[in-house]
Amino acid sequence: MNDSTNDSTLRVEHVSKRFGSGETEVVAVRDVSLSVAPGEVVLIMGPSGSGKSTLLSMLGALLKPTEGQIRLGDEVLSALSENRLPTVRLRRFGFIFQGFNLLSALTVLENVALVAQLAGAKRGEARRRAATILGELGLAERLDFLPEKLSGGEKQRVAIARALINDPALILADEPTANLDSSIGHEVMRLLRNIAKEQNRSVIIVSHDARIKDIADRVLWLEDGRFKDMVAMATDPVCGMAVEREKAVVAQWNGRTFYFCSRGCRNEFFEDPASFADGDDG
Amino acid sequence: MMLVLALDAVMTGAEKRLTAYIDNSGADVWVAQSGVRNLHMVSSWMPASVTGEVEDVPGVDSAIPVMYLTAPVDTKNEQSLAYVIGLPEDAASGKPWRVAEGRAVPEPGEAVIDSAVAERSGIKLGDKVKILGQKLEVTGLADGTSTLTNSVAFISMEDFERVRGGGQVVSFVLAKVERGRSPGAVAQRIEEDVGGVTAQSRQEFAEQERRLVNDMAGDLLAIMNLAGFMTGLAVVALTVYTATLARRSEYGVLKALGARNSRLYGVVLAQALYSVALGFAVGLAFTLLLSAIVPALGSNLPLQVGVASLLKVGSASLVIAALAAVLPIRQIAGLDPAAVFRG
Repeated sequence: MNDSTNDSTLRVEHVSKRFGSGETEVVAVRDVSLSVAPGEVVLIMGPSGSGKSTLLSMLGALLKPTEGQIRLGDEVLSALSENRLPTVRLRRFGFIFQGFNLLSALTVLENVALVAQLAGAKRGEARRRAATILGELGLAERLDFLPEKLSGGEKQRVAIARALINDPALILADEPTANLDSSIGHEVMRLLRNIAKEQNRSVIIVSHDARIKDIADRVLWLEDGRFKDMVAMATDPVCGMAVEREKAVVAQWNGRTFYFCSRGCRNEFFEDPASFADGDDG
Repeated sequence: MMLVLALDAVMTGAEKRLTAYIDNSGADVWVAQSGVRNLHMVSSWMPASVTGEVEDVPGVDSAIPVMYLTAPVDTKNEQSLAYVIGLPEDAASGKPWRVAEGRAVPEPGEAVIDSAVAERSGIKLGDKVKILGQKLEVTGLADGTSTLTNSVAFISMEDFERVRGGGQVVSFVLAKVERGRSPGAVAQRIEEDVGGVTAQSRQEFAEQERRLVNDMAGDLLAIMNLAGFMTGLAVVALTVYTATLARRSEYGVLKALGARNSRLYGVVLAQALYSVALGFAVGLAFTLLLSAIVPALGSNLPLQVGVASLLKVGSASLVIAALAAVLPIRQIAGLDPAAVFRG
């Protein structure tokens, strides 16, 4: 894998996205600015409906902003014609999706090689590159497996290999740990962090999972389409979700304050508070 | 596709059988009453003297008169429609070209009938059949003289004339041309030299026969072909549409990753082409199997897969594939790649 990220800082400048118009207008993202340097891992968190998916779609050149500008290096993505966007997505972005989204009829090797072929690589070359990357991710023994034969962690590593095959400057991951258990989720996140640091690629992760905060260089909280200060955030000790302190369900135990996403989590906490309180940041 | 191929094979085989008597008559030129251009559903009567007049035309080597009527052959068990041909004793043309048993040219009081008709009716050599109201002894069984609708039965000219109550008339004159002469040119010369006749080369005469029957069956064939086409279209369209629908999210993922619409359209079109190719192959195999089995079962239904039929069904298959791909392509075109982030 090359270091191809000489000038590939992602710059998001005053970006907004509106859907509909008049009384039915919905503003999904409001005046968001962000800069992600090569090698940086940024975690974007926020409640459902906060605009995370819309922002991620715009960052990945899947959706054009209504206002503002998105640049990747010298290229203004938001100004590109619809016709050029597929090529940009193929060559400059790597995508990792929540449900892995591997093609069920293709083998592991074919799933990864296909994306290289879409970018113009010949079949043999694409398969060779795919086999190399999959080998580096510990999947050399799984090349001819169909996705249904893989564990969740293996599927996500295939998805990561697919994201890396065209040597992208930026990797966008949507809830990459959502379908993985805690330890595998951490393993995948460490892998993404290593890729960012060793290969100097930017990684932007959108997630609800506050347990992966430690692998990020920066954590941003998106709510109502705007970034908010993370200082005002806390982690629900039961479900691990990041919650806004102001709006959270609050409870005291053993002289400490705990913040919950819901009454259900608070009730579960009080069934065995000691087990949840250990290691919580309150 | 199977239906259309099988139907075409039946029609091609039937067409070939339809003109088997004309094709194997041994005549180069068929001379008929003026205006008569084929055998099916016609009546042709000319003065017997026409035979000699035809023989005198330059380029004609020999001429044989035959009588002709469409009438039932009444066996013990059934009646079957036949082209009844009255042959002179010394007939060199117009007689059965392949004899399974017995003699080819019947004498007075005798008949030569189709072997398949005889087998179906339990008729053997020496049995009696009733043709044109006369009881005749079967003295010959001919092969290849039955079609989908009728067979050819041969009786003596004498018996034929008796039924007609005498009269110096003939139905057709079958002429052989001299070596090196063009049958078409000689036919034209016969029309010029002999009054009140229509003369055609054997090929023209057979073509007229095929055209007439095709015209008669044309509407039915068109309906059957349309039904086959529409069924094929529906099956392939549903298959491709269902396959696309089942993989809708995967197409969305590919779009999100950067696959161009044109590439995905190509995938859908390829699926449609594979489907019709499979249908075509299965249809062809089925039709070839039918064409091997049906004659073995003693049926008069000959199936023949022709190049024209393959080209026609192949072209229709391509049209089906293209039409079947339209809906799925529209569906893919409408897929929003950003939906991949919305779960």
